[in-house]
Amino acid sequence: MEPQLSWYLALSAVLFTIGAAGVIIKRNAIAMFMCIELMLNAVNLTFVAFSSFFQDVSGQLFVFIVMTVAAAEAAVGLGIIIAIFRNRESLDVDEASILKM
Amino acid sequence: MSAILFILFAGLAIGCAVAVVAQRNPLYSAISLIGVFVALAAIYVTLAAPFIAAVQVIVYAGAIMVLVIFVIMLLNVEQEERRRKRLGFLVPVAIGMAAILIAETAFIIYSVQVSGAKPPGPTSDVGLTHSIGVNLFTTYLLPFEVTSILLLMAIVGAMSLARQGKLLSATARVVPGAQVLAMDIARPHGEEDLTAVEADTTAESAHLMGVEFQSDPEERE
Repeated sequence: MEPQLSWYLALSAVLFTIGAAGVIIKRNAIAMFMCIELMLNAVNLTFVAFSSFFQDVSGQLFVFIVMTVAAAEAAVGLGIIIAIFRNRESLDVDEASILKM
Repeated sequence: MSAILFILFAGLAIGCAVAVVAQRNPLYSAISLIGVFVALAAIYVTLAAPFIAAVQVIVYAGAIMVLVIFVIMLLNVEQEERRRKRLGFLVPVAIGMAAILIAETAFIIYSVQVSGAKPPGPTSDVGLTHSIGVNLFTTYLLPFEVTSILLLMAIVGAMSLARQGKLLSATARVVPGAQVLAMDIARPHGEEDLTAVEADTTAESAHLMGVEFQSDPEERE
């Protein structure tokens, strides 16, 4: 039995849901960051599944660009996290609710 | 056969994803996340997308996660301590939103199921590096270039965010050909002084910073 397209979409939906729930539940800024990466990967899986089932390369190019955005996000996001930690000695996002140094 | 592979790697991905959220130590979360990335890379291979699978392992599991783990180690984040539930109402909200997401995607999955697309055949060349490269530099050249600008912005943003120390004072005079040194660079142990020092040549700046400078590299030997 061959895996159907809906299987991949279901897996992607489950991963995205876990990531979204993690962003809401977690308090540590780095853990939230990793949950966002998880959601990006779930979307990538959808792109690749559609691209490969419909024989169109565009989806995989989108994945390529999403990965670039994720890399840029990692650089800037971790820079922000380090700046927050330097100012507050804590990574708890509840304590960083005011956008003020 | 491929169904068994799919179930194996999908189970691995979901298990590791749950571990990412459930772990209290961010380092364990990061290692579980690497498991998700590797499982997804394996699924990309079964979807006849070898290039994306390789990039997934190199960029995500390699570069991005190394950066994250580096920051975790650098900040020495201790275990997230169990505290009183200050925002306890967020947990049912999260579960409710997850249920809505699952319902929406179940609808889409049902619609796709009816449409009946064919799984990728062995003769497909869609996911190969050649076809991706040709499309990336013809049809999708503009997004590719925009991506490079995005990366440049990320470099500048990360540098300005990570910069420690004071900026030059507003009165610093910068002329073409002059080197402007912040006072804390010229005298690291000096007093809190915001005025910038100026040096017209490299030799002069080396003198200000108190290092040896020789203009001719061959004289060093």
